[in-house]
Amino acid sequence: MKNEVFNGQRFWSYFKYDFTQMWRNHVKASIGIGLSGLIVYVIVVAFNLIFQGTWSGASLGLRIGTFVLAGTALELYQTRTYGYLTDKRKGSAWLMNPASTFEKWLSMILMTIIVLPVLFLGVYLIADLLVTAFDPTTGHSILHSVGTGFRDLASQLSDVNLDYETNWNIWAFAPSFICGFITNFLFFLLCGLIFKKNKILGGFVIIFLASSLFSVMLSVFGLPYHIQVELEDFAQAEAYIRHVLNITTWVSAFIAAGLAGGIYWRLKTLKH
Amino acid sequence: MISVQDLSFSYGSKGVLKNISMELKGGNIYGLLGENGVGKTTLLTLLCGLKKPLTGTIDTDGRNPFDRQPSLLAEQFYLPDEVAPMHNRAQRFGLETGALWPNYDNLKFLQILREFEVDENQMMDSMSAGQLKKTWIAFALACNARHYFLDEPTNGLDIPSKSQFRKAIMKYTAEDSAVIISTHQVRDLEDIIDPIIILDKEDVLVNASLEEISQKLYFDYGTEIHPEALYLEHTPGGAIQVYPNTTGMESKVNLEALFNAVHAHKDVVKALFAK
Repeated sequence: MKNEVFNGQRFWSYFKYDFTQMWRNHVKASIGIGLSGLIVYVIVVAFNLIFQGTWSGASLGLRIGTFVLAGTALELYQTRTYGYLTDKRKGSAWLMNPASTFEKWLSMILMTIIVLPVLFLGVYLIADLLVTAFDPTTGHSILHSVGTGFRDLASQLSDVNLDYETNWNIWAFAPSFICGFITNFLFFLLCGLIFKKNKILGGFVIIFLASSLFSVMLSVFGLPYHIQVELEDFAQAEAYIRHVLNITTWVSAFIAAGLAGGIYWRLKTLKH
Repeated sequence: MISVQDLSFSYGSKGVLKNISMELKGGNIYGLLGENGVGKTTLLTLLCGLKKPLTGTIDTDGRNPFDRQPSLLAEQFYLPDEVAPMHNRAQRFGLETGALWPNYDNLKFLQILREFEVDENQMMDSMSAGQLKKTWIAFALACNARHYFLDEPTNGLDIPSKSQFRKAIMKYTAEDSAVIISTHQVRDLEDIIDPIIILDKEDVLVNASLEEISQKLYFDYGTEIHPEALYLEHTPGGAIQVYPNTTGMESKVNLEALFNAVHAHKDVVKALFAK
């Protein structure tokens, strides 16, 4: 008798099914969002050609800004990927598919925090690399610039305090960045599963209420002691930033785990 | 077998089902009848695990449907009144979704689609309501489930399709399948449903086979009027009357007349079938 909670063969069947549905219904949108940097580049080039008569691509700042906006759009889009589950017709059909709630949940989490984001990042960054490789007016690629940005920061720390050597690089920020990004994706996924209508608006209302509550708590209980630390040199600054990043990572991971648990609970108790 | 014990359900303070008990056995096509709003759809969704009972239990072959265990989900199929217009071609939908059902038979799906005259290459979200319903019915039958919960399956079907539906149900469900069909269109299905369950607000008025019904009630199609009739309907050339069967004579059950008789004399009929 097969395990009713998790069975590898059944999960694989369900994951393939989920992936094909995702591919058919949402991958185009994710690729579209991933191509937004390229679209902005084409618009800027066309604009410059028409109004200035020169070939000039989008600046690094504009491209990073577009990247941040596209990432935010993809986060908000998570309200739609499984938002159909609140629809009686599609939600009923989904609930009656023969897989366990855990298997459906696991597949949903993998799609949300790995498949779609990796696809988006892949499309966006490859498009950006190609643009910068073929058009020298655009400067460095986002990937290169982010890397050098952190190296510059690290060398600044080393320059000012000559006795101080740092091994900082982009990866120092990676855990915090990834945990924050996962938290945001799971948050909007959960909003899509909770609200029947106005899913994004509902998400923003929750963010507003949570921020207000957090502000009130901070004002009542005071600022944490480490924010009031006076920094004396860059070595201390680096240690402090690492400390803050560490806390941010753990807080994000804790919230992400809570959101993942909330999503499971929502699926387990979903009724139509 | 599906065993329902003291099942109750409500939407907030509005009670829908109250202390319902019944047994649904394999090898039968149950007709679930009742007025609008008495809880037919609610009962079906409770039976398949889409809702959780407020009190009482549902036991399907030793399992609780609301646990939504994969082994039970693989053995049952719920077809809602309004089916989902999937963004997929019918044949692709069958292949992809059917892979989740261990007993799914894609050839059977395509064959039923052909019998229903549905184009397997058409996108489901561009189908008419009737075509979409037929696609889902074909898929449901191709899943080779043991328990079918069909909510108003003939709604939206044209006259030939209703006939095709009846044939498909008889032809493509296994002999030990329990099929529970909720319907208002009793005439569409009266040749295939047996036993009959008539739900009333918070109660089951009748849960009996056609044989039992004809033993307890007599359906008179003659012209002589019986004042003791529970229900009388004049028809061209005569009348249909329903009255308690005191002579033991057999008669053909007319489901519409039965339904109306039950509704006009709930307590009498309930007492008759409680014996």
